[in-house]
Amino acid sequence: MRSGISVTTNPPDEPESAVDAGDSRSEVAELAARVAELVGSESWSADFGNAKVRVDRSQWFEAVEAARDGADLAFFSFLSAIDWSNDVAVGEPLDETVEERYEILVRLSSGRNNDSVTLSTDVPKNDARIPTLVDLFGGANWHEREAAEMFGIEFEGHPNLNRLYLTDEFEGHPLRKTYPLVSREIKPWPGMVDVEDMPSTENPEAEQAGSSEDEASNQQPAASSEVEAGSGERAAGSGSPEGDAQ
Amino acid sequence: MSQTLDPRAAAHVSEVAVSVELQTPGMTINIGPQHPSTHGVLRLVAELDGERIVNVEPVIGYMHRGYEKLSEVRTYPQITALVNRIDWVSGFANEIPLIVAVERLMEIEVPERAQSIRLILTELARISNHLVFLSSYPLELGASTPLMHALREREHVLELIEGVTGGRFHPNFNRIGGVKPAAGGGSTQKKVLQDLPKGFLAETRLAMEKVMAICDDLDSLVTGNEIFHARTKGVAIVPPDLALAYGVSGPNLRASGVAFDLRKHEDYLPYDKYDFDVAIGENGDCFDRFDVRLQEVRQAARIIGQAIDDIPSGPLQAKVPRVIKVPKGETYVRAENPKGEMGYYIVSEGGRIPYRLKIRTPSFSNLSILPWALKGLLVPDIIALLGSLDFVLGDVDR
Amino acid sequence: MTTFVAVEINFYVLLVIKILAVTGVMLGGLLPVILGELKIGAHMQSRVGPYYAGGRWGWAQPMADGLKFFQKEDLVPAASDTQVYKIAPYLLMVSTLALFVIIPFSPDLIAVDLDLGIFFALAISSLSTLGVLMAGWSSGNKYSLIGGLRAAAQIIAYELPLVLAVIGVVIQAGTLSMVGIVEAQIEMGVPFLIGGQVVGFVIFFIASLAELNRTPFDLPLAESELVMGYLTEYSGFRFAVFFLAEYAGIVAVSAIASTLFLGGYGFWGLDPTVFGPFVLAAKVGILAFLMIWIRWSWPRMREDQLQTLAWKWLIPISLVNIMVTAIFKVVF
Repeated sequence: MRSGISVTTNPPDEPESAVDAGDSRSEVAELAARVAELVGSESWSADFGNAKVRVDRSQWFEAVEAARDGADLAFFSFLSAIDWSNDVAVGEPLDETVEERYEILVRLSSGRNNDSVTLSTDVPKNDARIPTLVDLFGGANWHEREAAEMFGIEFEGHPNLNRLYLTDEFEGHPLRKTYPLVSREIKPWPGMVDVEDMPSTENPEAEQAGSSEDEASNQQPAASSEVEAGSGERAAGSGSPEGDAQ
Repeated sequence: MSQTLDPRAAAHVSEVAVSVELQTPGMTINIGPQHPSTHGVLRLVAELDGERIVNVEPVIGYMHRGYEKLSEVRTYPQITALVNRIDWVSGFANEIPLIVAVERLMEIEVPERAQSIRLILTELARISNHLVFLSSYPLELGASTPLMHALREREHVLELIEGVTGGRFHPNFNRIGGVKPAAGGGSTQKKVLQDLPKGFLAETRLAMEKVMAICDDLDSLVTGNEIFHARTKGVAIVPPDLALAYGVSGPNLRASGVAFDLRKHEDYLPYDKYDFDVAIGENGDCFDRFDVRLQEVRQAARIIGQAIDDIPSGPLQAKVPRVIKVPKGETYVRAENPKGEMGYYIVSEGGRIPYRLKIRTPSFSNLSILPWALKGLLVPDIIALLGSLDFVLGDVDR
Repeated sequence: MTTFVAVEINFYVLLVIKILAVTGVMLGGLLPVILGELKIGAHMQSRVGPYYAGGRWGWAQPMADGLKFFQKEDLVPAASDTQVYKIAPYLLMVSTLALFVIIPFSPDLIAVDLDLGIFFALAISSLSTLGVLMAGWSSGNKYSLIGGLRAAAQIIAYELPLVLAVIGVVIQAGTLSMVGIVEAQIEMGVPFLIGGQVVGFVIFFIASLAELNRTPFDLPLAESELVMGYLTEYSGFRFAVFFLAEYAGIVAVSAIASTLFLGGYGFWGLDPTVFGPFVLAAKVGILAFLMIWIRWSWPRMREDQLQTLAWKWLIPISLVNIMVTAIFKVVF
């Protein structure tokens, strides 16, 4: 190996446990609880492997700082927002009424292991202001500029909060739910009615027969193992290939 | 002014005054949006003092397509067709985190064979992406020959991807719960699933040999060149803590000496079954960013070599409902794309379309370091740095 | 061109003949070099290169390219300094053409055998900077301006080692006349490259690459940085003139280098009056190939590295070379 480049066989913290889905879920919950404690928040969740900690707007800067320093989350993944709106111009409306607000998300990760936490806070729509994170993470600069123009959120103390993607003449904040997607207003998206036919119920044996010859070596052990693996629901599915497609 | 001066220097006071008077205003130069080295439509407004950069302001958005908004009117399977176009140099790898995120929300176990095929194609996309970088970077420094040699070998890799998916750049091959049956089945495709084309394994082995050979060629042709060293070593150093704070990821982060590779840390694809090394750089300069990618191509070829030896057999698709409805919930899945951390934050309200889809692209964050990194460099170094960051404007603007 | 004929022919008629001959020789020597650049570059990049034009090997490609340029619209940017912009390519062309005047193809076949031959060549070749600088300034384009200034800085830096490298030859030959230098080498039995001026030749070759703005010294053009440097705004016929001047420069510099260091028209056992032009052409071909090879293999240097190479390495080494040559000349 040439000088200048070293190759590590494994990074410092080998995340053996990340492989096991069950373990990682609990690990995520543990991380979320730990970060929540660090930032002084009661509200956290760890559904679907997403560690999420809710903080108060007044605590935003301090909370992100505490998470960065306390939990070693030095990697700035992204910052964005969600428009929680009952009045929806695009997409499907919400089932139940929500509190009108912007939810600001920031995703911080560790540069060493698979720790990764979403911090989120709410800002009311009539007072969409929040302190900037530029002093903590240089990378927040562009992400905040994007969120500012897309949602109309003001990041207080941002050094350069001008347009990033949009032209200066552009009016409105496109990612707000109330902002219409004009082309779709004129002509509804034809794909909405088109539902793809999923080929999930085909016979696995037939699929194997159709595959290449040079996989013959793979195929011998495959045939037997497949019966075991394919028992249970697969067996039921293969009985009526077209059946559960409907 | 003279009071603050050292008495010994008093004799030079008049000269100082003259030189102050002669200071001329700097030149503001627009690099891009149409320029040979901005990889598309990036625009840099650079303030120059001679050839030295005083200040630089990147202007992006010439290619903003509003994918996040468009995703709010599309069903999940339709979004995969969109995300292929984000980073078109490594189209296949863009689909993975989105598909995995939806599968995680729907709690689908993907069959092992499909996972293995996904992994092989992701690594092929990585090789294809890195070969584009490895060949075009010397071109930006003035050496045009490596381009032709590396792209010739990349063609083999693209043919492999095309053979399986039917598309060279935008495969659109992943399905929620597995992968699409490969092209080539004709009218029997619905009945007889054909997942890998005939001769795929042998062709892949052959292609990997060629990829390894071109890596050695590039080693002797580019990394061994004195002028290349002079142009890249010690140029535009990005320190590791700064790289982390700016969200610089992927090979650019590893070049700064941070051994962080999501393939080792996350479980979006079964990388733990295979043996591979994470290449890291020492200085975080342009040379390291080049060399890390060169090593990564070799490692990717190594992973593919292991993966094609033991492709598990079994179905290509898990059982999924005919209409994909994602349960209410939020998740973020990130993957090690060729260019860095690519992730999708899905907010689902239980319908066929996402309520909000945040796309985290690597090039956006990688590029955000430019205003800091370019200060004080020379004009030729702009090109050296821009090239070494390996960004695609589609990935920046989304 | 015996004395008998020269006396009979009117001075001005002879002048016209000489001008036509020089232009013809230049163009004749140019086309193979352009084709060589296309074909050699292509094969180094595992391409085929020109293939169809003219039949075999695409030999007519340079002509076809030239015709294409003639047909194009002559664009003059509104922001340009129009007069200067229009003159610049011809100034460059003339200064390159004038170099052919002093190149001896055989003991008699030379347009003008100046006593100050090599001195004239060095002086005239510096003029090309003026053309480049004019092109860069008058285009009204910042990229062109930076390109033009880079060219000026580069030629100032590399003119010195070029001249200093030639001084070694002049000391050894004892004359400034081009024919005299070749005769001195024939008399010595070996070209100066073998007979003591290896260092001089290497420095001369590097410096002439820089004078010609060839890779790795193509900073004034630097496609990836400055778009096309001082050529950015040029198109059509004027661009073609720049293009021709570049390749004429390659031929001229190779011919001068052959004359100074490789024995010019002389070759062991071949009569220079008969074989002289062919021997010289072969030597020019070898040097031109070397330049093309370098062009397709190496990346480009950076401005400060280029200056460092000239001032910290080439100039001191060439000064040492002069000293050593002088000592040898005095001692032996």
